[in-house]
Amino acid sequence: MKKKILTAMMTIMAMSAAILGGCGDSGKDVYTIGISQFAVHGSLDNCREGFLAGLAEEGFVEGENLKVDYVNAQADTGTSAMTADNFVTKKVDLICAIATPAAMTAYNSTMDTDIPVIYTAVSDPVEAGLANADGTPVGNITGTSDALAVDAQLQMIREILPDAKKIGIIYTTSEANSISTVAAYEEAAGNYGFEIVTTGVTSLSEVPLAAADMVKKVDCITNLTDNTVVTALQSVLEEAGKANIPVFGSEVEQVKAGCVASMGLEYFELGRQTGKMAAMVLRGEAKASEMEYEIITEPSLYVNYAAAEKLGLELPRRYATDAYQSFEEIIVE
Amino acid sequence: MALILSVLEQGMIYGILALGVYITYKILDFPDLTVDGSFPFGAALTVRLITMGLPPVVTLPAAFLGGALAGACTGLIHVKLKVRDLLSGIIMMTALYTINLWVAGAGYVAIFNQDTIFENGVVNGVFPGAAGRVKTAAVIFLITLLSKLLLDWYMSTKSGLLLRAVGDNDTIVTSLGVDKGLVKIVGLSIANGLVSLGGCIYAQQQRSFEISIGTGAVVIGLASVIMGTSLFRKVTAPRVTSSVVIGSVLYKGCVALAMFAGIDANAIKLITAVLFLIILVISMDRRKNPGGGLT
Amino acid sequence: MRKSSFSMWKGMTMLELKGIWKNYNPGSVNELCLFQDFNLTVRDGEFVSVVGSNGSGKTSLLNIICGSIEIDRGQILADGTDIGRQKDFLRQRRIGRVYQDPSKGTCSGMTILENMSLADNKGKPYNLGRGVNKAKAGRYREMLRPLNLGLEDKMNVSVGSLSGGQRQALALLMATMTPVDFLILDEHTAALDPRTAETIMGLTDRIVGEKRVTTIMVTHNLRYAVEYGNRLIMMHEGKAILDKSGEEKARVNAEEIMGIFNRISVECGN
Repeated sequence: MKKKILTAMMTIMAMSAAILGGCGDSGKDVYTIGISQFAVHGSLDNCREGFLAGLAEEGFVEGENLKVDYVNAQADTGTSAMTADNFVTKKVDLICAIATPAAMTAYNSTMDTDIPVIYTAVSDPVEAGLANADGTPVGNITGTSDALAVDAQLQMIREILPDAKKIGIIYTTSEANSISTVAAYEEAAGNYGFEIVTTGVTSLSEVPLAAADMVKKVDCITNLTDNTVVTALQSVLEEAGKANIPVFGSEVEQVKAGCVASMGLEYFELGRQTGKMAAMVLRGEAKASEMEYEIITEPSLYVNYAAAEKLGLELPRRYATDAYQSFEEIIVE
Repeated sequence: MALILSVLEQGMIYGILALGVYITYKILDFPDLTVDGSFPFGAALTVRLITMGLPPVVTLPAAFLGGALAGACTGLIHVKLKVRDLLSGIIMMTALYTINLWVAGAGYVAIFNQDTIFENGVVNGVFPGAAGRVKTAAVIFLITLLSKLLLDWYMSTKSGLLLRAVGDNDTIVTSLGVDKGLVKIVGLSIANGLVSLGGCIYAQQQRSFEISIGTGAVVIGLASVIMGTSLFRKVTAPRVTSSVVIGSVLYKGCVALAMFAGIDANAIKLITAVLFLIILVISMDRRKNPGGGLT
Repeated sequence: MRKSSFSMWKGMTMLELKGIWKNYNPGSVNELCLFQDFNLTVRDGEFVSVVGSNGSGKTSLLNIICGSIEIDRGQILADGTDIGRQKDFLRQRRIGRVYQDPSKGTCSGMTILENMSLADNKGKPYNLGRGVNKAKAGRYREMLRPLNLGLEDKMNVSVGSLSGGQRQALALLMATMTPVDFLILDEHTAALDPRTAETIMGLTDRIVGEKRVTTIMVTHNLRYAVEYGNRLIMMHEGKAILDKSGEEKARVNAEEIMGIFNRISVECGN
């Protein structure tokens, strides 16, 4: 009985896919997509480039069979909403939304249409109301999350510092992403034998003070993608240097600037992974409404040998081959 | 079509905000930056109330009252603690940032699947099927019209007349035996109540709250007021509020046009600023000429 | 008709300033002790003209009475009640004031009708009732007609477009529309051309005479000080150095006052 139902369902699905494919996109010569990026930001730009690269690898090449309409909302939700409405008016084949507010406005604008939305750089799709708790989409929308790989990072710190007990985190109390990431760290820390010590700040000027106090209490510091703290990264590194404790980063730029290592996100990779999802949707192989959102499967390891040497730290030997990218000097821009 | 509707919807929502800015900027002559905080405050209150399961209609008066309270705080800081007008607004705007996070519970909150003032049994019953496309615009139009009419009515009352007097010449308000500080507080309350109401509708139209939606709200409000009042210069009393709303729709229209024309998004803000300056200079709507006609 | 509309008039109140001290910028190099134990009694229905050089304290005197300036010590008694610590706006419910600057007594962005409606409501709550009562427009027009300035035909014209003289006449009318205990005139003709100033002075005299309101007028014009009112005070360095009323006042002439005025001016090196 069950088998029969299953067969029937599969037949229906195959038929609908064929119908959709037939009347829909697969016959098109040129596809049009709209990219709605929320703000000008290094990581988000990398994401967009990765996205286009991912599409290109799947045969959708900009300028050949792909027309790309790119709008940057300059961190204005009103413009972001209008961008999405504009794409709906133009009846694009797909909208790529980069960063949470862009994804939310895109979903809102396409709700009554059949335009699929593929998002990226959304830290928490569930909290943003774009996915159900089990990862399935709430509508014709899916994509990738840039949630930090908390477990991988903790594992890496344990590997580098076998005797460390306390990890310090400085974060801005108004940044929602930071708050949820801190919670994730606190939850996972026990599994690796760590205790998390946190200090909240509200402005840039408080970071050096918080860092000076923090280094006395902990064995190392790990960073989030917290905008305020990252801006004041040099003062954190300086205080940590005085106390001779390492600072771990959360993305490549931080490692380049003097953090010892990070299991971080490569936003280009994230974008590429998203581009491949978009390609599947464009080809009609899958529907955004049926794809679970993805997180980056393999976080990338970044190491800075110069920073490690300054602290007299020895990094595991396999890092020489495992690292996605390694630096021999500290580059402060 | 979707874009035109979008311009109308956003234009009218920001039109309500612009009515508030009109009160502070044009009537009270008070550069009120509270707006950047009270607009998202209305939105934060709204998503909180809606996720609590309250009927969406409740959010409208709640947001107005919440915004009015915020405006009153700015007024109290300015009047009672004698802090300069600009700084009072900045203080309140800063405080509201944190308050907004508390109220909403997070930097962004989605209400995609909840009932809103646009998405409920009654509205869907009135606009069945294909008419549903315009229901959002229709509901916004209704609320904006109502806000405008209520404001027009208020401005024609004794209290409203006094509000106009305090911005025009606050000495006379004292001469009339009224505490001019109190009148300013009332004005700021009404203004920020309207701004917050705008935020409330915006959150429901976007079906989400985002902490940064207030950034630049005061600029959009000012641009709308100045565009509206300069383009329809010879207009008085009740019709000036209409011009302000129209100004807001035009402003949003310009942004959409620039975007549709494919102007580099990075340049839009600069173009907006230049456009703003040109309109300002042409209309000669700078400071009021002090003293005015001593002959 | 005119009389009956003021039948509720309380009018005629005594004003006493007792032991007034006022120190500007205390503790700084710019410290200026303007009033030291200053005393003045203005009797019921008196029309006092106050003259004096710049910085003699005549405008400060008005500001002290109206509460625009706080006093350091002393009492201000209105019919025996001390109002010296009352907030300015509360005090001004019983005071009508006209300023030198015509734009201070009216709202330039509002029409004559709106301005008069506002003034007409003084002393009553400014609530959500109708701001402009069209039914009263006729009465306002009748009040404007005797001014002979043509204002009665400009009820819906914005006050900002009126001339200074027209605005000052309106301000004077507005300041005395509702019953007030004191009328304070702060060089209210100084910004006007001589002919308009004459008109406004004539109007002032008529209103004060009709309403018999206790009036204090500060003026730069010695002739007006001599011609109008029934008491003349000359201020110098925070003191009333000359105070003539009744018969004495009636006998003084402009030349005599001018002589005294010039003498004190020379003394302080002006």
